[in-house]
This record gives sequence, C-alpha cells and structure tokens, in this order.
Amino acid sequence: MERLEETVRKFPPCRAACPAHVNVQAYVCLIQMGKFKEAVEVIRRDLPFPAICGRVCFSPCEDACSRINIDQAVAIRSLKRLVADIEREQGRVRAEPIPKRYSEKIAIIGAGPAGLAAAYELAKLGYPVTVFERMPEPGGMMRYCIPDYRLERFVVRNEIEYIKDLGVEIKTGVEFGKDVTIDSLRRDGYKAIFIAVGAQASAKMNIPGEDLEGVIHAVDFLRALSLGKQIDVGERVAVIGGGNTAIDAARTAKRLGAKEVMILYRRSRQEMPAHPWEVEIAEKDGVKFYFLVSPKRIIGENGRVKAVECIRMRLSEPDESGRRRPIPIPFTEHQYEVDLVIPAIGQVVETWTLPPEIVSKDGLIEVNPLTMETNIPGVFAGGDVVSGPASIIEAVGAGKRAALSIHCYLRGEPLKRENLEEVTWVKNWSSLSKKERRYESPVEKPRLSFEEVRAYLERVQRAARFEALRCLGCGPCAECLMGIDLCVKDKAVVDENRCIGCGLCVEICPYNAITKNENGVAQVSEELCKGCGTCAARCPKEAITMENISNERILAAVMNAIAEVT
Amino acid sequence: MEGNPKIICFTCSWAFPEWEIEAPPNTGVIQVKCIGRLDPIVILESFAKRVDGIIVIGCSPPDCHFIEGNLYAERTINLLKKVITLAGLEPERLHLELVSPIENKSFLNLVERFVERIKSLGPLFKGKEVDEEILFNIQAAKQAVTWSRLRILSGRERKLTEKANAYGEKISQEEIDRLIEEVMGEEYIRSKIYLLTKEKPMSVEEISKRIGVDSPLVLQHIVALRRRGLLAMDRIEGYTPLYRALEVD
Repeated sequence: MERLEETVRKFPPCRAACPAHVNVQAYVCLIQMGKFKEAVEVIRRDLPFPAICGRVCFSPCEDACSRINIDQAVAIRSLKRLVADIEREQGRVRAEPIPKRYSEKIAIIGAGPAGLAAAYELAKLGYPVTVFERMPEPGGMMRYCIPDYRLERFVVRNEIEYIKDLGVEIKTGVEFGKDVTIDSLRRDGYKAIFIAVGAQASAKMNIPGEDLEGVIHAVDFLRALSLGKQIDVGERVAVIGGGNTAIDAARTAKRLGAKEVMILYRRSRQEMPAHPWEVEIAEKDGVKFYFLVSPKRIIGENGRVKAVECIRMRLSEPDESGRRRPIPIPFTEHQYEVDLVIPAIGQVVETWTLPPEIVSKDGLIEVNPLTMETNIPGVFAGGDVVSGPASIIEAVGAGKRAALSIHCYLRGEPLKRENLEEVTWVKNWSSLSKKERRYESPVEKPRLSFEEVRAYLERVQRAARFEALRCLGCGPCAECLMGIDLCVKDKAVVDENRCIGCGLCVEICPYNAITKNENGVAQVSEELCKGCGTCAARCPKEAITMENISNERILAAVMNAIAEVT
Repeated sequence: MEGNPKIICFTCSWAFPEWEIEAPPNTGVIQVKCIGRLDPIVILESFAKRVDGIIVIGCSPPDCHFIEGNLYAERTINLLKKVITLAGLEPERLHLELVSPIENKSFLNLVERFVERIKSLGPLFKGKEVDEEILFNIQAAKQAVTWSRLRILSGRERKLTEKANAYGEKISQEEIDRLIEEVMGEEYIRSKIYLLTKEKPMSVEEISKRIGVDSPLVLQHIVALRRRGLLAMDRIEGYTPLYRALEVD
C-alpha cells in the first residue's frame, strides 16, 4: 500500500470538479443525441444515485462549467434528474447480480451514501459485500434527514434497490458497537471493514434551557418525522443556525403548519453556509431570517419552551483566515416568543460508538488521506465520519476511493489512482462566439427550484436536449464508450511514410490538433484530437486514417443497411 | 425497384435525437460521428452498391458538434454532385440537408421528400448493359476523387475562398468552381483511361473509341498519367504502342 501509481489524465472541468468524478460531458453529450438510457448508464458507472443527486446535489460541476464565461452554466443537475426519472418511470430493467470473482468478504458499516457507494464499487469489482445499518431502512441521511419534499422516499428506495440487485447484502437493524464490533466481524470472516457511519449526532449549543421540552435538534427532528412520529410544532418556531439543515428544518416546520418560522443566525447572509438558492427558496416559503443574533438562553415555563433570548452581534474585522467573527454587542438582549426551538448548529460523529483508538482529537476518525485506512490494519473509514458533515456527492467520492483502496489492499497491489487534478479543455474556440449567439439559456436562472425545473424539463424531452446542446464539449472525446455504431472514441493516425506534408489537415482541423513536425510530417495531438475524422476524409494521400472508424467500417455499415432494406 | 427506390441516409448523431430517427421503407440509416467524416470515396462506393439515392443529413452552421465538420461536408457534397453529373447521374440523387438540432423538423418527412424526388427520377440501375456503363462511370468518378489533385483542391477550397492563399491572394468562388471543374474533367477522363488499361493493355485508338474522347486528347492524358507513374507502355503491336496501368499502392 506504500507505493502509489498515479496516471495523469486530462478531464473537462465539470468532471474534475465532481468529487465522484462522474463523466458529465459524456452523459450530457448522450442527452444531446437523445440517448437518455445510455446517459443513465454512464452516470451509474461513477455514481449509483443519479436520481438522488439529480435532486439534492450541490452540483460543483455547474460551478466549474466553462459555459459560465458566456452566459450560464449548463443545468447539469436537472438533466441528470430528468434522465434518471425517465428511466424510473419507464420501468428500470432489473440489474443482473454481478458474479463474485473474489472470496474475501467485506463488511461496510453504515448504509449512507459513502457506505453504499463503496459497496456498489466493490460489488462491481466482484467482492461479496455486506452492509450493516442500524436504522430500519438503508439510505442514511438521504433516507432520514432530507425532507421528502426535496427527495422523495421512493426515489431513495429505487436507487438502493439497484445496488441490492447487483448482489450487495444490506442488513438493517444492526448497530455497530453493540450488535457487531470489529472483532466480531473479523471472527465472522470479514477481511476488510469500511466504517462510514457518518455524523449522526447534533452538536450541542451549551446554553441554559437546552434540555427543556420543546427543544429538538434539527437532525433528530427530521429523523423523527421520517420515522413517522408526530411532532407538534405549535405556532411559532425558531431554527438556530445557518446551514442547509437549518433551512430543511425551517421549511419542514412551515409545512407542518407552523404560522411563523424564523431562522436565527449569528453572522450575516453572506457568511451563511447554506447554499444561496436554498435560502431563496426558504424565503419563498415564507421563512423569516434574522441575522446577527445569537441565542443566549432558552426560557421555559412549566418545563416547556416559552421564549428564546438572543443577543445582537456585530462582525469583527476579517482575521488572518479572512473570516469575520461575530462579537456580541452588550445590552442588546431581546426575546422571541416561540413554541419550538430547533437548534441546527451542526452534526458531530457519535464517537462513543467507535473504537477509541481510531478517533482523533477533533472527534472524527483519523485515516491515511491517501489510502483511507485507519490505524487498525484492514479497517478503512470515509464520508462524514472522516471529513465532518459534508455532502452526498463528497461521501460518494470518499466511498469510491475507499473501495479502490480496499481492493488494492486485499489484492496486495499498489494503489492505482487516476490523478484528476489536471484539468484541460479545448481553448482555441473558433466556434465559441457562434455558439454563444446560438444557445441562450432557456431557463432564466441556472438554478431553479425543483418544482420549476421539473415542470420545465418534464414538459418536453426536447427541452432537455436543447439544454444539453448548450454544452461546449470543452474536453476531449468524452468517452461515453456506449458502443454506438459509428461514434466511438477515435483518433486520427498519421502514416508517416505516406504523408507528403501538404498541410491540408493542419488547415482543416477545427481543434488545431494537427501540426507539422520538423520533417514536415503531420502530427496529431492526443489531447486535442476529438476524432471527428474531417481530416481523414480529405487527406489526399490516405496518410491519415481513423484508429477505429475506417472507411471500410462505414462501407460495411452501408452494406448491412442495403442488405436490410432488400 | 418495384415501388420504393433504394436509399441510403447518412446522418450525424446530433442533428436528430434518437427518438426522431425513423426511416421509411427501403431506406438504410447510417449514423456517423460527423458528416464531415464522409469520405467522397465512401459515397461513390455506396452508389456503386446499387443504391438509387443518397441523402446526407447534418447540422446547419453554426451548430456542428465538431465546429466546422458540416461546412467541409458541404464542400464535399458539392464536389460530388459535379463528379456524378460527369458520370451521367442526376445530381439530385445526392442531397445534403442541413438542419439545426433545435428546429422542429421531422426526420421522416425530410427523408420521405427525398424518396419522392428519387421516385420521380426513376431507378438508377435499369438494365444489364446500361448498368455496366453506370458502374464503370461511378468507378471512374471514385478513382478521380481518390487521387490527390482533386482532394487537395477541394480541401483547400474553404481556405482559398474565405481566407487567402500563401501569397495573401483571395480567390473568388466562381474562379475556384471553374478551376475545380477543369481539374475534375481531366481527372475523370484520366481515371477512365487508368481503369480501362488496368483490365488489359490498350492503344490510344481503342481508348478513344471506348470513352468517346478524341485521340490527341487521350494521348495528352496518357502522358500526364505516365509522368505520375500510373501508366506505362506495355508493348508495341505493329506500330501501335499499348499502354497498361501500373499498380500503385
């Protein structure tokens, strides 16, 4: 495990930005062609949750999109959601179980995004995988803590069903540290263990009155509702905190019938960790925001919450890290009368359930950042339990990396990793200005609410294609590798003995991928060539041929077509 | 062809979405990566497989997925229309249709319209002897577009008319059209001579009779072909030299 073999490959910015490195350009390209089924297949190569991420991903791909320089990013997430939804509505073909190539059993603790992604990758490699989950249903935060108006339960179930179809065993109702331990798993013959239990506990505010009746932490609140419990939210609800969980809790409380829901946040709007579009939607839902206020204590009456006392804050000058700390302004205490207080100031790892030797000082699991192995050999960890609360896609990325590392560990091979740091795209856009004029975004804003996007995209598949066509295709061939008859990854190859150095190809190539070398012979750049074949069709000496699609292959297709029509 | 002519349709993967591509009977649809990829040889070889018409469908500028493949395809098709006219085919048998992928057009309608036009032209291959002649002509046309002279000229066409040549001179479209036609006429005859002498050694007189070109002109072309190393004198019968094509790789 010491040696690391890295291969450097060039990727378009969207793919490089995605923590799970989903091949965005390829599936967007397939949507352009109207091949929606193939698009889902391409997404599934890297990500087992196309429908989930199509709904709730924070889409770093869109932030990296080159199209931003022209108008707006391609609505990648909405496209992903659309193709996944179409597949589900048309009825997904049941996936075949993957034959087991290896005998080493692997145990995964926690059926959240990280655990399931690792299970998915390992099952694809051919390992027998068992996932242990303490809740009655798998899915982790996706199932229990994202409210179902954002992520419908049947969507989560459907995606997990797919992973199960591949032969992954999921045991629910099994608690780590109680029903199973590292030692018991080892005794049962598990050769590697991946801990992905997430950050399930709520961070405490440590202010007086936190244990009053009517104070419920956001994740507990959301989880209780998901388990079908009734919670009386009363008329006025205060949510404390400025993260995405706070927004989810506030919107949920509003939907449960609270007349007034307020979010109290100690910094200002710019500092909110929640995504701005989420904040916008919450405002549309009627959630009120109070900035620069911090709760000092919760006042109770007969053991029940009556009000929350806050103090005004101001922001300090930026410190060395550039962050502006909130500083209380004395004598500005004021009270908000509320029936329910929902603190949402973050989640922490339930460190007491974990073996103490792998827990770090920060209350997280410490791992080798490269191999994701803990200091117990054969025990790996990833996801929120290592990084602290993050996102689904980051957890998937961690699960994927861990799966690869576990595979290399079990096989005793050096860790082979593709270095995706290096980003490239075709820069010499002769067509950029043309495309700019051509495709203006059909959506007003790149990020619409889910309802709007759904209404927009589902009305017509044409619209999806239109949106996908906005993609500049700024990487090299996207390698969808879908085996489409005459559109495969291709490359122009020069026969040096035939080349007469006329330079025609140099003039023709739309990507400036061909240059002449010192002998005057044409030379094709691997990075820039997209394999369109325009040069091969014009080379006067048949010196340029395409690696995969030769003239003979096109002619064979013609012969087939003729044979079919007569 | 009872009823339906045999049609081949080349289309790029982007002009129409998958669900739109539906072919009328007797039409084979071949999706290529880019219509700019279509080598003139491929199109003529397809004609030689006895199809009645070929329609090429791609994206209208500026929508090409490969930036400019459609513009090059346009030039290729124009060239091919000229060369099939020389070979005695109606130029309407080859048709290029550029549509924007975001337009609301029907693939089926487009192809059906083309089929109707071909129907009104009648079959390309009618009877045994006529067929032989057409096939020979198509083969000659194919040979003409295989040699580098026409290929270089048509490949340079866009640069010469839209930008400038190495001396900074811009050539008008009419001028280049005239040039291409002139070169094409020569190359087409040379191809015929080359193909005929490939079968058996022939004299100038024989060739002249066979292809209906005056013998001094035939001799001129033979000289040109010999200079290119494509033709050689085989033997002399009496006082008549016989020429034979050389196998060139």
